Amino acid sequence: MTGIASETKQNEMGLSWGKAALLSLPMLLLTALLLLHGHNLKDPLQAIAAGITYLFANYIFFKMLRSGRTHRYRSIFFVAASVLFVVSFLANMFEMRGTMELSTANILDGEAPLCPLVIPALLIPAALTQTIIFPGSMFAGYAGVATMIVLWIGFSLAVGRGWCSWICFFGGMDEGMASLCKKPSIRSFDQRWTYLPWAVLLAVVLLSAATLSPAYCEWLCPFKTVTEYPAVNSLETGLQAVIFVSLFLGLVIYLPLKSGKRTQCGLFCPFGAFQSLFNRCNSFAVRIDRARCVDCKICLKECPTFSLNEASLAAGETRSSCTKCGRCIDRCPRGAISYHIKGTEFLRHPKTARLLFLYPAFIFMAVIGGGCIFGGLLRLLKLLTTGSMIG
Amino acid sequence: MWEGFLLGLATGVTCLAYCSPVLLPFLLGEAQDVRRSAGLTLQFLGGRLLGYLLFAVAAWWAGQLWRQSGLMREAAMGGIYVLLALLLLAYGRGFKSEACAGQMVKKKTAAWPATLGLLTGLNLCPPFLLAFAAAAQTQTLRDSLLYFFSFFIGTSLYFLPLPLLGFCRRRAELKTIGRLAALVAAVFYLYRGILMMAGGLIP
Ligand code: SF4
Ligand code: SF4
Repeated sequence: MTGIASETKQNEMGLSWGKAALLSLPMLLLTALLLLHGHNLKDPLQAIAAGITYLFANYIFFKMLRSGRTHRYRSIFFVAASVLFVVSFLANMFEMRGTMELSTANILDGEAPLCPLVIPALLIPAALTQTIIFPGSMFAGYAGVATMIVLWIGFSLAVGRGWCSWICFFGGMDEGMASLCKKPSIRSFDQRWTYLPWAVLLAVVLLSAATLSPAYCEWLCPFKTVTEYPAVNSLETGLQAVIFVSLFLGLVIYLPLKSGKRTQCGLFCPFGAFQSLFNRCNSFAVRIDRARCVDCKICLKECPTFSLNEASLAAGETRSSCTKCGRCIDRCPRGAISYHIKGTEFLRHPKTARLLFLYPAFIFMAVIGGGCIFGGLLRLLKLLTTGSMIG
Repeated sequence: MWEGFLLGLATGVTCLAYCSPVLLPFLLGEAQDVRRSAGLTLQFLGGRLLGYLLFAVAAWWAGQLWRQSGLMREAAMGGIYVLLALLLLAYGRGFKSEACAGQMVKKKTAAWPATLGLLTGLNLCPPFLLAFAAAAQTQTLRDSLLYFFSFFIGTSLYFLPLPLLGFCRRRAELKTIGRLAALVAAVFYLYRGILMMAGGLIP
């Protein structure tokens, strides 16, 4: 029954070959501009990496349109981008500094790339003291502060917390691990833990303002484990390293593998909580058609970020933490869940609403994720042809 | 007297930033209405005033020791941080409790806001250090106390809007967030406190 209903749903949202191909044309052109531009295509390795990235992105987009499935294809691209981000980031660090360690000298030279996770903690100190407390460069270098902030504002206004499932290279690690869980042994979490990201947000914003330093970066970020971390040369930095690694192993590896949920994103990440605020002020939402819903609660079990509960289901809405990943939409056996454009009549044109959401979301994903995929592939190709990723 | 008040006014925002990681989670957890929030803020400020005045006295009598021994100061501040962290942990630990937070606070923790205020009052934040340096130059203990008192009044003006949190809707969620945030802040202060007590390298 579930399988048949699911097929019906897929046909509802899926497009014919011709339509899917036609609607993929704008993406072919846009991604050609965005992904192929700026590389030295005369260099065979760069040309191959850029070509593969371009074809891969467009294949994924076409499949999304043709099959009507959003989550399945988004997830492939999202996780690939995340894995290749780590490859490319680490290779860059080794090329620039010869180590993953970030020394005081590197920090003073403004060499730390701005990670979006710090953005909420920058705002209050910037308003109070007119200083950016992150020790990176404003424009130059890898992920300058200004560049990252402009990208973040654009994307947040376009799709709100969709950031966490369409662009965040860290979220892809969580999602990748969760997708490896075939039979969850941890089946439920106390609902109250879903407020922890808000609490972490509140605490790190206030502590950053109090100490005029990026408190989250300095002592809470799990992803330091796979990017760059302060050189361990004192009791303090040793303790920090223990915290970073423990949080990474717990939240990004163990709990997702055991529960199938994105526990770092759904139960800890302060940036995710902050992005939820943008879900209130952008045009796209995920809604549930109560007339079709048979209260099977599959969507509640499937949502990886705890963004559906009994109350929200009854109200026909998601919680504000929805990352618009599309998983509940793909999995609902009744086809009761769909993307929706706020201010329009719900369910009048669900296909159009989905398409209008997919274009901006996918373009941002292609730009950021495509950059990660290109960078990672290039390093891997270098490794294959020269025996080393750097140089 | 005016000098202390003006310094307080000038640095009050920073003061608020220093105290808010402790006060805000607490207020969010307990913000039943504006009156209750105002009461808690006043208790907190009362504790903070006591902390300031105690510091003025202690600085007067034992100032030499504090100023001369950086290590001792570090260890003492570390101790205060650890105490603060333990209080926040004890408060935040109740985040899963179904009991009315107000009742819990009344029954078990009537002195908490004041104690938290006292401990943040003993905190050597930059505005406080400025006030300390200025007060140390006054001629008598009375002048030192007056200086710290007027400094307290100046900084406290920034705390006045906080009781408006009592107007917030969705109190159950806010209560949980406030208590969880107290736990996160507690871990931070514990970590800093231990490092400072161990003669750590925090600037
Ligand atoms: S919306 Fe959720 S509960 Fe309703 S039918 Fe779909 S999966 Fe089941
Ligand atoms: S509610 Fe649906 S779209 Fe939103 S995060 Fe959960 S599964 Fe994804």
